[in-house]
Amino acid sequence: MNFFKRAWLSLTAKKGRSVLLILVTSAIMLFVLAGMLIHTAADTATTNAKKSVGATLTLSANREASFKKMRKSSSSNPKLTTTPVKLSNATKIAQLNNVSSYNVTSSTSVNAKSFDAISKSTSSTGPGGQSSSSSTGDIAVTGVTNTSEVSSFSDKTNKITKGRGLTIADKNTNNTVIESELASQENISVGDTITVKSTSGSKTYKLKVVGVYKASSSTSTQQGPGATDPSNTIYTSYTFANTVKGSKYAGTADSVTFNVSNPSQVSSVKKAGNKIINNSKYTLATNDSSYQTVKAAMNNVKSFADKIVWLVAIAGTITLALIVILMIRERRHEIGVLLALGESRWKIVGQFFVEMVVVLIVAIGIGGKFVGDKLGDQLVSQESSSTSATISAPGDKSVQMSGKPGGSGGGPGGGNSAIAGGGQTGTTGSTQETNLDVNVTVLTMVELGGFGLAIMFLSTMIASGGILRLQPKKVLIE
Amino acid sequence: MLKTNNLGYWYTQQKNSLFENVNLEFKAGQSCAIVGQSGSGKTTFLSLIAGLDKPKEGTIEFDGSDINQIGLTNYRKKDVSIVFQSYNLFTYMSPLNNLLTALAVTQSSHAGDKDFAMDMLRKLGLTDAQMKKNVQQLSGGQQQRVAIARTMVCDAKLVVADEPTGNLDEDNTAEVIELFQQIAHEQGKCVIIVTRESTVAKACDNAYRLAKHEFSMI
Repeated sequence: MNFFKRAWLSLTAKKGRSVLLILVTSAIMLFVLAGMLIHTAADTATTNAKKSVGATLTLSANREASFKKMRKSSSSNPKLTTTPVKLSNATKIAQLNNVSSYNVTSSTSVNAKSFDAISKSTSSTGPGGQSSSSSTGDIAVTGVTNTSEVSSFSDKTNKITKGRGLTIADKNTNNTVIESELASQENISVGDTITVKSTSGSKTYKLKVVGVYKASSSTSTQQGPGATDPSNTIYTSYTFANTVKGSKYAGTADSVTFNVSNPSQVSSVKKAGNKIINNSKYTLATNDSSYQTVKAAMNNVKSFADKIVWLVAIAGTITLALIVILMIRERRHEIGVLLALGESRWKIVGQFFVEMVVVLIVAIGIGGKFVGDKLGDQLVSQESSSTSATISAPGDKSVQMSGKPGGSGGGPGGGNSAIAGGGQTGTTGSTQETNLDVNVTVLTMVELGGFGLAIMFLSTMIASGGILRLQPKKVLIE
Repeated sequence: MLKTNNLGYWYTQQKNSLFENVNLEFKAGQSCAIVGQSGSGKTTFLSLIAGLDKPKEGTIEFDGSDINQIGLTNYRKKDVSIVFQSYNLFTYMSPLNNLLTALAVTQSSHAGDKDFAMDMLRKLGLTDAQMKKNVQQLSGGQQQRVAIARTMVCDAKLVVADEPTGNLDEDNTAEVIELFQQIAHEQGKCVIIVTRESTVAKACDNAYRLAKHEFSMI
């Protein structure tokens, strides 16, 4: 174990050389740390983005099958008949693994009775300039389970400004959430009661206003004939919408949207769901395009980060190997004396390795957590500021995420363009930012130490070729 | 103690050999000088008996065993100590650490014995302050004394020295010769000194001259 002592004596005696070695090693280790932090950031961003983007499955009537049925019909006046979704099926699907929540949607329309609808569109001009009267009411009723699960609320297109939104607790009640413009025009406040009338009869319904929302969208959600002003859309429990539609609609819905907690499992959930439903009447549609886009883009970022880590590690090994080779050449005489004394060549190599490990420990100590954390903050802030892209999935929440680390424009392999191009339609809502918290943890330091040890070992081994061949006679006598 | 059997060495061609069929015997407790002109091959001979190189022909026996069988590294560690003209100390260490390192590397019986090393350095005229300084802060004579002390503390029974007085003045030369005589006569070791200086040769118990590829006793 004398070579440990020799290593220590050499390091402490030649302070200038040791300081230079520590500085060079610090610089290389910081590069490696930067690569590792980028890698960690890419991992975190990928995980966050996947979670934020999510994926959904929508259970609705199989319109394609209904069209086929209609075309095959021998009737002179064929009708398109679709079967409403049975809630009993939805409950079964909701119990499958990876389904985190679901939202039932049942839409209908009514006419305003105790107030006036925002006037605009009880009739519209149809194709060819023909006027077509509408059989729908002037108030669109969207029955839901939970307003926060509705895409227009989750992506902040609609915001509750007064009162509260609807929840599962509002099932079987006549509570409603109305638009702020309608509330303002008719002086309706939270707690007031409004009356609406069925479009097909004289039946009236009293609704209690529990919340007011503001729609930032300027376009109607219902296009074409019968379109209403967005302000005339009220949200109620789906049970109320079913009541208005008629008793045969009890326990049914227009569609049910299931949120899948793990987007990568959406296919397996769909497969399991298809076994529950009657596929000739219903269909389960996936919406994981955002997830697929994010996955591809983030895999590119991760691959890029991996390449940086390896590039820096290889460059670091070469640099340190060259330094150790030069150091060993400078110390040929010392090696010769040790060989003349009968020291084993591997112990001499061991001495140099120990010296490099001590240098590494001090270098990592200097770099350490403090510099690492600052570096991580800098890297992440640069990432966020230089490249960010917004994904806005159809009617879904949007996600802002980082692209190529420190880069600009398109990400690796067109990562950012892929993100930006990912099937954007619908209204543009506000963004949900994915925060990257990239800190140097004990595990990061251990990984860095491991990388450093590997680099030092390789460098010493490469440089030691000379020691293993060195003849003491040539050094000491010739 | 040390015996050469038909020893021969050449660099490229045998016809240009430095020496051939050398049969010499060196005994414990005696000092022996090998003198010769520059380029005669005396340092090469020293490197062979010190186990730093292998002969082209013949064998070297140490205490009856071929040093190749002992293993050159093991032979250098256990059986031989070398003193060089240019001292060859560890320049980043103090004299004391030089001795302690040699003791540790050669796994001598006094390995780790700091007091033993300090006593030896004191005997050779170094003060306590000097023995803790860096060796490069010592004079040439003092450095050579440290190098000799290194051979004296180790257990090796054979001491070979290559021009040990080559860089020293007359006073230091006399002191160094005296030290080698002590090693031979008091420690009972076999001392072989390669030198060009006749004063050194005369001080030794035996002397050989290497000239015209042959050794002859003076």
